[in-house]
Amino acid sequence: MNPEIEAVLEALEREGYVADLPIATALHLAVGMGKPLLIEGDAGVGKTEIAKVLARVLGTELIRLQCYEGIDSQTALYEWNYPRQMLHLKAAEGRGQDPERLEASIFSREYLLERPLLRAITRPAAPVLLVDEIDRADDGFEAFLLELLSEFQVSVPELGTIRAEHPPHVVLTSNHTREIGDALRRRCLYLYIEHPSLEKEVRIIRAKVPRAGEGLAGQAGRFVQALRERPLAKPPGVAETLDWTEALVRLRATALEPEVVGQTLGCLLKDRRDLAEVRGEALLSLVERARAEAEP
Amino acid sequence: MMDDSTAARVARLGRALREEQVGVSLTDEIDGARALSLVDLADLEEARRALRIALKVKHPAWAVFDRLFDTVWRGGETSRTAPPRRTLTHGTERRGGRFPRWNPAEAAIESETERETPEGEVPGWSPAALFRRAVLPGCSPPELRALQRILAGWARRLATLRSRRLVPSPGRGLVDPRRSLRRAARTGGEVVSLARRRRALEVPRLVFLCDTSGSMSPHARFLLAFALALKQVARRTEVFAFSTTLVRLTPWVVPARLALTLERLSVQVPDWGGGTRIGECLAEFAERHLDRLVDGRTVVVILSDGLDRGDIAVLRSAMRRIRARARKVIWLNPLLRDPRYRPEARGMEAALPFVDHFAAVHDAASAERLLPHLVA
Repeated sequence: MNPEIEAVLEALEREGYVADLPIATALHLAVGMGKPLLIEGDAGVGKTEIAKVLARVLGTELIRLQCYEGIDSQTALYEWNYPRQMLHLKAAEGRGQDPERLEASIFSREYLLERPLLRAITRPAAPVLLVDEIDRADDGFEAFLLELLSEFQVSVPELGTIRAEHPPHVVLTSNHTREIGDALRRRCLYLYIEHPSLEKEVRIIRAKVPRAGEGLAGQAGRFVQALRERPLAKPPGVAETLDWTEALVRLRATALEPEVVGQTLGCLLKDRRDLAEVRGEALLSLVERARAEAEP
Repeated sequence: MMDDSTAARVARLGRALREEQVGVSLTDEIDGARALSLVDLADLEEARRALRIALKVKHPAWAVFDRLFDTVWRGGETSRTAPPRRTLTHGTERRGGRFPRWNPAEAAIESETERETPEGEVPGWSPAALFRRAVLPGCSPPELRALQRILAGWARRLATLRSRRLVPSPGRGLVDPRRSLRRAARTGGEVVSLARRRRALEVPRLVFLCDTSGSMSPHARFLLAFALALKQVARRTEVFAFSTTLVRLTPWVVPARLALTLERLSVQVPDWGGGTRIGECLAEFAERHLDRLVDGRTVVVILSDGLDRGDIAVLRSAMRRIRARARKVIWLNPLLRDPRYRPEARGMEAALPFVDHFAAVHDAASAERLLPHLVA
């Protein structure tokens, strides 16, 4: 075992992120090789959290670019502050300034609105750049991002080329709603995060919802693990497990009872058909099984 | 410095993965070697984890990767467990049974020796059947030409889906401040004309899944002709055929000569004659191809009469997966031609809740009526 990887694991745990060896190895390699890391997995397994924790562990800034359908390079990179430029032009109109000087002054760094990608390459220390849900953007944006990730420089026609003195640590996340292009894939290291094991999930519950006693945490973990074995349209992620446990704690439940579970099932299942499937008999048997298995 | 034997092992692992259809390139191998230099090589599990990350192995391929890693790292040679790539099936894994080559005479011999018989059935494949298919009902040359003309006319209309990305537009659209101001530089800083941008055009992606079993074959052949013609216009069209197994036909879809490709296709897909396992085939599609080929912009078209021999629950869950992923699911059922038809067969009934548009298609006119649904 490489002691550095162990150190990463410990650092993650200290920051409250229950990690495992694959995650620690991936982070160690990404930082060591200076390559971006692409994290894929179902919704709610903790992909975005990793980037946030990495920033805390490295003691650096987190810059987040949230991707969405139709995002283009302009919104991600930079924008000129048009209203301010127009005002300046209007104000200078009366004074009859030299047009070239005028143009130079409105196209200066003051009037440039830095968006996440440009900000990420102009920080005094290497930040963590989180490109969240890259699968929601389209191929064109991927190609643009690829170019940026290869060179870490941006050319602004009016200002020249801006090069990163401290290239950021890049983390990309994807919910796998679309296949990421090969070129971008090859550029990054790849980490796939599955739903956690029972042991890991219970540890996460205990860490994030401390008011849930050991008993409730164990039963809740077992319930969700059994729930994921069913053919659901949207299996619950860790985020949902935590919401649900929090809800149970607020309702002062110390153990799983069919009634309170039925009331709070909406925290775990967000699909109408899934909810319909886990009702009545199915719910009772799941609760019983979770309670029975949690008995020491 | 990298020890030679480690580099050699990474190269062997990469080659073995490629042989088993797991995409690993030279760049990935280099990344893999670099990654190994950052971990404790004596720890096998750590090396395994590091390589899995650096070679970018996708989740479905983890089992194969683990097996090959174990073999290579313990110094063994990997044997080729997968059959060598054959041009005919182009990487499609088959669960037994071999598809005959294009040459009909040879086909008869091959199918004699290598066919797999489903329980209790006599395979319906024979040389006579091959030659019977030489005439394609409903797809006579004049009909095919008519189809091609219609689709050429529809070419522009097919490319009407608008994505949300904004691109410069000479005419109407939203104001583009950046370009407007740049233009203003020419007129002394005064904005005289506004530059505009609008949403970009996008050609829809289509996936056709055609039931080619006994009763369906004439309709399937027509729909395949339709799909082929569409492919000239909407290039991202995938075509699959299924009866007892799923076959990906897309690589053999040659836009130029419709009739010839159809003839080839009729030889491709074996017809065991005796009902379809719709659920299993759709489940196989969902398992192996769904993630890669279907996304929020893809329209999936299924042609089948819905008479499923297999487990209905499998059909239902496969349909649910497909519907969740695709933009739209269209089901074409030739039985709908008869106004008295009610979709009561269990298979059809189970699939209907997941279908956005339910129609029949059997000739050029009905194909034309289908087109708006592919873009809407």
